[in-house]
Amino acid sequence: MNTEKIITLENVVKRFKVGDGEFTALKDINLNFDKGEFAGLVGPSGSGKTTLLNIIGSLDSPTEGTATVMGKSISELSHKESALLRNHHIGFIFQVYNLLPVYTVYENVEFALLLQNHSAEERKKAVMDALDWVGIADMANKKPAKLSGGEGQRVAIARAMVKKPQILLADEPTANLDAENAHAILQTMKSLNKELDTTFLFSTHDEKVMKYMDRIIHLRDGSVEKDEIINSKSSSK
Amino acid sequence: MIKFLLKGIIRDKSRSILPIIITAIGVTLTVFLSGYMRGAMGDMIDLNARFETGHIKVMTQPYLKNKDQLPNDLALLEVSELIADLEKDFPEISWEKRIRFGGLVDAPDENGLTQGQGPAAGLAIDLFSKHSNEIGRMNLAPAIVNGTIPIRPGEALISEDFSQKINASVGDDVTFVGSTMNGSMAFQNFKVAGTVRFGSAAMDKGAIIIDITDAQNMLDMEDGAGEILGYFPNDVYDNNDATQIAETFNAKYIDSDDEFAPIMQSLKQQNGLASLLDYADVMSGMFVAIFVFAMSIVLWNTGLLGGLRRYQEYGIRLALGESKGHIYRMMISEAVLIGILGSILGSILGLAAAYALQVYGFDISEFAPQSNMLMPNVIRAKVTPDLFYIGFIPGVFAMVLGTALSGIGIYKRETATLFKELEV
Repeated sequence: MNTEKIITLENVVKRFKVGDGEFTALKDINLNFDKGEFAGLVGPSGSGKTTLLNIIGSLDSPTEGTATVMGKSISELSHKESALLRNHHIGFIFQVYNLLPVYTVYENVEFALLLQNHSAEERKKAVMDALDWVGIADMANKKPAKLSGGEGQRVAIARAMVKKPQILLADEPTANLDAENAHAILQTMKSLNKELDTTFLFSTHDEKVMKYMDRIIHLRDGSVEKDEIINSKSSSK
Repeated sequence: MIKFLLKGIIRDKSRSILPIIITAIGVTLTVFLSGYMRGAMGDMIDLNARFETGHIKVMTQPYLKNKDQLPNDLALLEVSELIADLEKDFPEISWEKRIRFGGLVDAPDENGLTQGQGPAAGLAIDLFSKHSNEIGRMNLAPAIVNGTIPIRPGEALISEDFSQKINASVGDDVTFVGSTMNGSMAFQNFKVAGTVRFGSAAMDKGAIIIDITDAQNMLDMEDGAGEILGYFPNDVYDNNDATQIAETFNAKYIDSDDEFAPIMQSLKQQNGLASLLDYADVMSGMFVAIFVFAMSIVLWNTGLLGGLRRYQEYGIRLALGESKGHIYRMMISEAVLIGILGSILGSILGLAAAYALQVYGFDISEFAPQSNMLMPNVIRAKVTPDLFYIGFIPGVFAMVLGTALSGIGIYKRETATLFKELEV
């Protein structure tokens, strides 16, 4: 079992200004995530799931406490360093697939690698591998508008996985999919998790998604209500 | 990445078509108006040089001070000797004597009674010398409406409009009435060899052209001339050379006690052409400045609209790890590509329009029938090598400036709200 900690949250507090006052979205969060975990953040709206994903994804920084991702303290990163961290180590999957409509499936997936200055040959191999992983290599030349919901989300997964990130953050990735497609997508993610040892961290309140998790962290009003280990691979609190 | 951007520009018409059209319109106007200014100013300078100012002109100093009055009593004398000196000092220049004079031209009927008369602006040029290029320089052959160019002394050309006014036809005798250099009355009969139209209201109103020797005899100006005009090889004006030659010549006479000492002026120093040329330069600069300013504002606005439309795309790119600076630089790169495409299109259209105006011209004679200014009746543009790039640089600059202003918003974008923004 791999126990390398790649995400560490210590006494993380996040407050937002609301009018003249403040709203506390996260209250004293202490969590660790190991490499290769398949974990879910669950809880009702406003419980702090997305705020936590934002901080782990270096899109935001904590008001208090320390969030360390891939050995880097999020609060101390400049905007450019945050972008670099996301570019090389973190993949994102959104509730809506958010593909670039004027580009083909191949080009959408390739975009993440263009930012890393890979050669054309390297990019081609990596993109075709990623499309293979998610089972849509034959749709490489299609435009996003021609894809079904499930296919669109597979492209989004391929785009997130093509750079082989250590962490993949997914915000309600199956919210817009029917049960069959949601199952297929989660199976794909699960197999990628095993194959590439990528840490998957979901935000969801979908019961169907929770069934696939090795670890479920229940959030309520910005605090960890329960940290539930389902499968022994996920460990650290 | 450039290939990636190009694909986006080509496939997403709304990203490229409007900015390209705006840039192309601006560049077209800049190129066309610059070509028009060059043509109009070039023709005006050329017309002035050929008919009035030369590229450089020698006069006596008092003649210069009163030249609007055509003061032949202050004309140059012993011009053969002066021209010999000029040819020796400035051998590349072609020197021509001219006398400008005013008077009345009377056209009698078969009984010797006046059938028409009118004030005439006379010009005496060297029509018969073998070395003279005055006939070609003044485009006399193409300007002939009826008759021929004078081939012997005692013959004259008159402008076609003037001939109709005084009822004189080719072959008729007309009488010039004026004053000699010494102030006495001058009468001289001329046979009308031909009528001409120069395409300039100032010249076509009442011109009479005779040979310089006839004028010297008529006006008692033996070996005299009101002006000596100098022309550069191929009749192409060079202001720097003209200024230098004039300074060199004038330096010889700076300490002269002779009140009739000659003085030389360049084309630009005469007829207010300096201010006209400066005005043309300012106008050209203003076209470009107004174009850049207006286009930048329009493209800024277009960029803001594009930024709103591509809000989601920029959000995805930020989430994927592209830095704000990189996105901004890519926006500028796109703007450069779009600016280049729009500028190429605009340059082609502008050059085509300028070329059409150069070939076909635009007749303005109806707008200035009584003009005394020596300017052509048909305005033509001139396609010069600089037109190929004069709109190009401002076109790209305006596009980049507009995008640079609109793109600043990318730096204000909060990444913390990306998840929420990209949910919709």
